[in-house]
Amino acid sequence: MENNLFAYSSSPHAKKPRTTKNIMIDVCIALIPACVMAVVYFKLSAFLLIAVSLASAVASEFVYYLIMGKNFKQIATEFDFSSCVTGLLIAMVMGSQTPLYVPVFANVFAIVVVKLIFGGTGKNLVNPAIAGRVFAFISFTAVMASGWILPSISAINGGNSYDLETGATALTPILSSGSLPQLSNLDLFLGTGLVGCIGETCKVALIIGGVYLVIKRIINPLYPIIYVGVAGLFSVCLNGFDFTYFLPSILSGGLILGAIFMATDYVTTPNTFLGNVIYFAILGLVTTGLRVATGMEVVSFAILLMNLFVPLIDKFVYPKPFGYTKAKKS
Amino acid sequence: MKSNLKKIAVDGVVTSNPTLKLVLGTCPTLALTTLAMNGIGMGAAVTFVLICSNVLVSLLRKAIPSQVRIPAFVLIIATFVTIVRLVLDKLLPDIYESLGLYLPLIVVNCIILARAESFASKNGVLASACDGLFMGIGFTLALTLMGAFREILGSGAIFGVKLWDFQIGFFSSSAGAFFTYALFIAVFSLVEGIVKTKTNKKQYAILNGPAPTVQSVKEDK
Repeated sequence: MENNLFAYSSSPHAKKPRTTKNIMIDVCIALIPACVMAVVYFKLSAFLLIAVSLASAVASEFVYYLIMGKNFKQIATEFDFSSCVTGLLIAMVMGSQTPLYVPVFANVFAIVVVKLIFGGTGKNLVNPAIAGRVFAFISFTAVMASGWILPSISAINGGNSYDLETGATALTPILSSGSLPQLSNLDLFLGTGLVGCIGETCKVALIIGGVYLVIKRIINPLYPIIYVGVAGLFSVCLNGFDFTYFLPSILSGGLILGAIFMATDYVTTPNTFLGNVIYFAILGLVTTGLRVATGMEVVSFAILLMNLFVPLIDKFVYPKPFGYTKAKKS
Repeated sequence: MKSNLKKIAVDGVVTSNPTLKLVLGTCPTLALTTLAMNGIGMGAAVTFVLICSNVLVSLLRKAIPSQVRIPAFVLIIATFVTIVRLVLDKLLPDIYESLGLYLPLIVVNCIILARAESFASKNGVLASACDGLFMGIGFTLALTLMGAFREILGSGAIFGVKLWDFQIGFFSSSAGAFFTYALFIAVFSLVEGIVKTKTNKKQYAILNGPAPTVQSVKEDK
């Protein structure tokens, strides 16, 4: 096969050396700022979570393929880093108090059940990281949703005087009592003095990662903006058109993380531009609607739910065939 | 009769296991397998109804006109389900409580109706009774094993005895029920396939000498 002069592939010929592997490595790079900020804020516990999660994600992929009868070298050459992305993302959405076995279970579920059983990268029905997070959330509710620990940086500053706080994020006051959080928007943006999952507190790091992905032309910046914008505006609408709700509702919780890294997964988004616009707009509505209806942080559930509607969107919004002209009315 | 009996037994428990092969009676399977004890209770109830209804349907198979056989079967099954309900309510109120709605729903349980339709209405009384027994055993085993799996992982206990504090709530939820069901069907088919190829090879060897391997086929060419 190596001596073939002609390429026998059918028409969309790849022009760039851009493979799944490269894209996934770029996504990993984009997650580095968030990882660094997580370690800065939550110190050793965050580092351990990230390391364990990453290792278990990669290990579960290798073990699965070894059981399925591939040899080690073959797996290593075919390894496409998408499980690294899954592992990192699952670590990002765990609180720093989470015991280390939780990401292991979440990763095994995400990689083996959600991705590999369905046929590997590109064939999964829902985003593995989201499914892993939801699995962990409904399996270990007790340890995942309580005992949030404030990032240590605020303890040094002595700025805020909360002790351990329960409830996912600064979103809780908005949802439970309809009042704005006591934290300023800047605090929410930087993640200082804020409880939450290790990766989602520092929005700046996430946005830096997002900008990197946009520059590398891996994601279309419009999609996360539509998602976040619609979610924020809908939240404003639900609170009687009070625009002070806009920033807190988009800056708290996992919305930014979900919008940039999770909802934009190629596999689980529609194929067309119009389909994507519809998908992300509905995603925004669903996220805010469910947040208000359940009083919980539900970005992951919203994305999981909408992932299942992607085939439906693709069924009705399909790309125009090349050279297609509208049939003339006779 | 003896070989026939063996076939019925293997059929009921393995080759057409009602839960794992025919995928019948999924509703109680998914709903009740949170606890292993539920599996035994439900299995016993279904087995009893299955044997009795099979016997009665088999006895009446010449008398029931085929146009109205389904209502007749349902009537027979409903009679026995009522008996089971009344007995359980009186003797084992705990199990009666935990089975809840699914006990009266045995009336429309596909397994019982399917066996009445496809086996009891065509076979003799003794064979039908055995079929009911082994189908019931197959159902009970499947439900109990799934229940044990989900109980150990979901609530860290087995048959109500606490093993450890570690729990994976997913397996107690309904999503876990579907997952467990799929897992069991997959593993069951896998094991059955392995056993089948082995026995096939054995039979082939008895008839024709050693089975052809890749090597021997190449040499033949």
